[in-house]
Amino acid sequence: MDQQALHNTHVKLLGFDLLSLTPSPNNSSTFYLKGNPISRAEIVGVITSRDQKPNKFLKFTLDDGTANVTCVLWLNHLTSPYFSSRQPTTVRVISEAAKRFASDAQVGKVARVRGRITSYRGKLQVTVSDVVIERDPNAEILHWLDCLSLARRRYGG
Amino acid sequence: MASPAIKPGALVTLPELRPSSEFFKEGASLRVTGKLQEYSVETAIAVIADDSATLKVDTQHLRELSFRVGSIFQFIGELHIQPNSEAILQARAGRNVDGIDLNLYHQALQLVRQFQAERVNSATT
Repeated sequence: MDQQALHNTHVKLLGFDLLSLTPSPNNSSTFYLKGNPISRAEIVGVITSRDQKPNKFLKFTLDDGTANVTCVLWLNHLTSPYFSSRQPTTVRVISEAAKRFASDAQVGKVARVRGRITSYRGKLQVTVSDVVIERDPNAEILHWLDCLSLARRRYGG
Repeated sequence: MASPAIKPGALVTLPELRPSSEFFKEGASLRVTGKLQEYSVETAIAVIADDSATLKVDTQHLRELSFRVGSIFQFIGELHIQPNSEAILQARAGRNVDGIDLNLYHQALQLVRQFQAERVNSATT
């Protein structure tokens, strides 16, 4: 498989696998999964805690039965200098979407979270791009099976 | 900041949760699934069942859930073993999972465990 093939895809991972990725020594946004460089992940699990700082961020925990993954959803788009060079209408759309994700993300719900893998104080977490609440009670099971099958067939074991 | 002390709820079936099981420990964080057999509004104690195995669940922190006897629920919480050796799960999250394919759930759970064990083995060898 092309070494770079997974780099910009949201790699479906079980929580324990995500937390045991190896950070790249040269690039803070790259992590290694069995030798494959990746930067983004998709995880599914039950939200078991949430801590919101209004207009700053929502930090929540996703429990998928194998690990607790900390997810950070930024809510500071309208005030952060990081977004000041982008089109104001685009920033507003991103900000509105993030607010909607934050209100959807309640304890006890099953969420499918996609985002960038980041390292904070030596621990891996997900900086959230989007959150979808799963209503199908089998969605999490199918995600587990996807993760297992992709790990064996595509991600090198 | 989320407390690092909270462990993930290990996936376990009710028939597996016997006193001899590695999961049957004071304070163990577990995720359990079963059909609601009884529920008391006064005490918020629910009893869930899977085959002939049952488990008491304290749902006092989950007042927003609507408990219907006969529906299937999934809870995440900590196991407490009472002096009479009866276990009760102190739930911190819960949801109705009516429509879940329990056969598929049980099979997938075994596969996830097997995969985790392989990963741990390959990391240590």
